[in-house]
Amino acid sequence: MSEARFKLLVAPPAIVSSAILVLLFIVLLYYSLPAIREYGLGLLASPTWKPVEGAPGEYGLLIPLAGTLVSAVIAVLLAMPLALASVVFTEEILPRGLHRWREAFVSMIDVMTGLPTIVYGLWGAAVLAPLLGDTLYKWLHSSLSFIPLFSCQPTTGNTILTAGVLLAIMITPFIYAVVRESYRQIPRTYKEAALSLGTTRYEYVRIMMGMAKPAILAGALIGFGRAAGETVAVALVVGNTFNMPSCLLAPSYTVSSLIANQFANAQLYPLMLNVLVSGGLILLLIGIASNILGIMYLRRVRYVA
Amino acid sequence: MVLKRLAALLLLVAASMALLSYAGQRWRPEAPDSIVLHGEGSSFLYPQVQAWSEEVRSTYPWLVVNYNPTGSGAGQSAFIKRVVDFAGSDPPLTGEAWERLRGKVVQLPVVIGMVAVVYNVPGVDGLRLNAEVLALIYRGEIEYWDDDAIARLNPTANLPHERIIVVHRSDSSGTTQVFTLYLHKAAPSLWPQELVGKSPDWPVDYTGRGIGGKGNQGVTELVKRNPYSIGYVEYAYAVKEGLSIALLENREGEYVAPSPEAAQEAARNALGSLPDSPDGDWSRGFDSVIYAPGRGSYPLTTWSFLLFYKEYPGPEAEAVRAFIGWINTEGQKRVVEGYVPIPEELRSLNLKAVEMIGVAGG
Repeated sequence: MSEARFKLLVAPPAIVSSAILVLLFIVLLYYSLPAIREYGLGLLASPTWKPVEGAPGEYGLLIPLAGTLVSAVIAVLLAMPLALASVVFTEEILPRGLHRWREAFVSMIDVMTGLPTIVYGLWGAAVLAPLLGDTLYKWLHSSLSFIPLFSCQPTTGNTILTAGVLLAIMITPFIYAVVRESYRQIPRTYKEAALSLGTTRYEYVRIMMGMAKPAILAGALIGFGRAAGETVAVALVVGNTFNMPSCLLAPSYTVSSLIANQFANAQLYPLMLNVLVSGGLILLLIGIASNILGIMYLRRVRYVA
Repeated sequence: MVLKRLAALLLLVAASMALLSYAGQRWRPEAPDSIVLHGEGSSFLYPQVQAWSEEVRSTYPWLVVNYNPTGSGAGQSAFIKRVVDFAGSDPPLTGEAWERLRGKVVQLPVVIGMVAVVYNVPGVDGLRLNAEVLALIYRGEIEYWDDDAIARLNPTANLPHERIIVVHRSDSSGTTQVFTLYLHKAAPSLWPQELVGKSPDWPVDYTGRGIGGKGNQGVTELVKRNPYSIGYVEYAYAVKEGLSIALLENREGEYVAPSPEAAQEAARNALGSLPDSPDGDWSRGFDSVIYAPGRGSYPLTTWSFLLFYKEYPGPEAEAVRAFIGWINTEGQKRVVEGYVPIPEELRSLNLKAVEMIGVAGG
């Protein structure tokens, strides 16, 4: 195969696949415009959601947007220690002789990244939500209700906090994979240098984690993007009510679960479809931004190591 | 070299596709000149239309009915754009949409459905509720199960002092429309018109005790899993999942449990407010079946519609006539569990539509 022909063969698919993102953006923007024109900034700032049949209702995405951000932040905060501890455990604590166990552990976590999210959702709705609702939330409310985040009396396990916990479980494998890869890339000389200084294992791990810091940040951002966009699992546990997520023990909404819930009948309501699409546009922007930032940090770590 | 190979490959693909499509025409599993009707819409109607589409073939082996449960809204919009042969919808066309299509469409109520108010309170059976109490619960103003308003209706029940978990649909739904319309009709001062709809702004959500589930399945799961909850689902789900069903006060002041007889009673009592022809405007009278008068009628009763055009381009007209005729005769004997057949009077009304359908330009 000649060079020119080979180029000709691979160029069109490459162009098409990169054009899809641009097209997606343009289409979402096109369908969002009527909503943006009608509601302006209110689309982002208004907490009201009053669908009206036959006339433009009042639609504001403030509550679902806040829900998306709150649940994704909770997810990253909870997933980070889980992922880092797993990296340390598999890379440093498991004895060298047990490398089979380590590979088994690693592939189990890798399998978790590929599971269909509905599996997490069903488990979350059937097991996690009732479990947390009956135990942790009652305790949080009875002992820590002076903290505003835990001040509301929990009624069920379907809350914004459950969504955050479930998302944390879902993104831990991603963060783990990103951090592990760069942790393994830390040059041997650095490791030996650290050990030769007579560090304790804790000090050693701290130094190594310091070197993997850009990867940790990248993992956090990519995990955040994934958590913000997750739909079906969240819709099953978040409670799906327009309630400001100022207290974590109450049900709330996220943008993607709102779209999942309302899309099927959105045609009945003038402009609702456009509002939902603009919610999708915001998700796309959040996803792009967090991924670009994440990849930028990752590049940095690759060049360092 | 590569180009030649590519060309050969493309040729092969093209040839096999041509062969396959030819074969497809020759050996279609259906009879040689079967007619396909495409429909979409109400997910509530889906199990019923699905069952009918299979059973109708024992009478008309050439009739193939495909139905896609995209939701009533999507079904209506596809119908108005004429991209389907028929649509299923829980509400009929709005007055405005009907006016635009006036004389071109027929709308047939084909099955009766019921919405059950379900609850999960251990040790309480046969809970009696009326629209005022339900409205106050869904407004968030009744907080505990042993509230005086509930206790007054259930003097013998052992009501616990537990907070009520109020479950509603999170997606927009005809079930919600029926439920809220009942509240509005029976307790207008507590449940104003603006809270009626497929996706109202639930006042109880602002108390943090409201919770939304997606679809009947979602609400069913939430009620089952959370003690001291209350919700509303299609009757079929309540029965299938063995949920406790509340008795509701009807217009005559009786407390009635959902049953096929109670639903048919409501339908019979609503007949007077219906248009006298399938091509009439159904948008006004159709909801008279909700909170209908008459002894023994169940207030949360509703029906679902199939929408057809009056003119079809060719053989579809014959297929539609056959389908409508069959649904309103044989089909009513094969109503899936959870739905209720329409009363005799409605069947003969629907059958008038058969005469109205013809070939475009013919």
